Amino acid sequence: MNLLSKHYDLDSSSDVQEFYHSRGWTDGFPIVPPTPAAVAACLDWVNLAAKEVIGIEPVRERPITAEKLAINAVMAGCLPNHFPVVVTAWMAMLQQEFLLHGATASTGGCAVLVILNGPIRKEIDARSDFNVLGNSDRATSVIGRAIRLGLINILEVSPGAIDRSTLGHPGKISYCIAEDEEGTRWQSVAQTRGFPSDVSTVTVFAAGAPRQIMNEWTTQPEEILETYAAEMRANMRNYSIWSGNYVLVIPKQHRDLLQNAGWTKSDIAETIFRQARIKRGEWSSVGKGAVVRDKGDTEYTALPSPEHLLIVAAGGPAGGFGAIIPPWLGTKSQAVTAAIGVCIDCEPPSSP
Amino acid sequence: MTIRVLDPTSEATPQALKPAPRLRSLKGKTVGLISNGKEGTAGFFAHLDRLLRERYQVANVILRTKANYSAPAEESIIDEVRNWDLAVTGLGD
Repeated sequence: MNLLSKHYDLDSSSDVQEFYHSRGWTDGFPIVPPTPAAVAACLDWVNLAAKEVIGIEPVRERPITAEKLAINAVMAGCLPNHFPVVVTAWMAMLQQEFLLHGATASTGGCAVLVILNGPIRKEIDARSDFNVLGNSDRATSVIGRAIRLGLINILEVSPGAIDRSTLGHPGKISYCIAEDEEGTRWQSVAQTRGFPSDVSTVTVFAAGAPRQIMNEWTTQPEEILETYAAEMRANMRNYSIWSGNYVLVIPKQHRDLLQNAGWTKSDIAETIFRQARIKRGEWSSVGKGAVVRDKGDTEYTALPSPEHLLIVAAGGPAGGFGAIIPPWLGTKSQAVTAAIGVCIDCEPPSSP
Repeated sequence: MTIRVLDPTSEATPQALKPAPRLRSLKGKTVGLISNGKEGTAGFFAHLDRLLRERYQVANVILRTKANYSAPAEESIIDEVRNWDLAVTGLGD
């Protein structure tokens, strides 16, 4: 394997750590030394040459090569079988509608949420149950971290450099979840976005921090969903009123109640679309009266349409909890789903 | 035993851009303002417009606003820049 990156010969494992930290090449945690053998193993796994361009960041016109992604993936702790997810996530993030530069530079401080669907989840032992929005398993932790380290090192998205976040949030360390497809009768996120169930996919979403809700006091689907919708309305009042993609993470307890009552993801999305809306005048109740102007009666929906809601079946088996994950910038940055192993920018085969 | 490790950065050399010649005076010039469209820009650029005309005798001040404050300016705005003597762009948070 012909690797093209500059190399350094260091004396010890601790020297490696200090060398990378001192250059601002980490997220503050120790890294796995990106040796040529480890990087080559990742590239071999996806059958990509080191110089292969995965995509080009549209604003700063930076080419993103397979080798640089592999180096950062190894540093994050990825094994070769994690690397196809990292490559596909980057392909999706580099699509124009994702608005990568804005999403990584904005004072708004969003993170890249990565949602996994299909057989890859099992191949890499990604978990979807306990602590799913935290440190649930090795695979999702290191994949999410690989995205962040790649941003830091390949696109200079370091705090105070390209990253101008006022606050940021913990998802900027790692923000990757796998859907509990075995624990639900619902269609997966990927299926609702047009992909077959036997295809592995990665969905990326420029997202705020999760906002947790709790309602253990009802078995009625409408009442359960009203709690999720209320949190979305709170986000619209307190953070941003603009509609866009939202993610609902629905763990087993709520999911069972909804499924056993015959509710599909489509039914849920229709209800949330109806319920998650506010009038601009509500800004007055949260200290934002100055920008209501003469539009107090204008109604804003959290979702442009029910299809903009991404419902993820995930979370531990017990507890009447759930979460909403809001968008960073409404419809100006959109969730993108890409299939693993499919080049979404390739030219179609030429006709004979 | 040494450990050989690889550089994780882009290693790209940024393209050196040549700045436009500096103006010796703003008097009689055309100044373009590119606003990102955020709430705070209205007052900021209105004040700047007044300063440029009153204190520096700028002949024309043209305000253009981006459609998306987190994305680059549209081509139509960039095309206009060639007709300006000076452009001012920045945040309006």
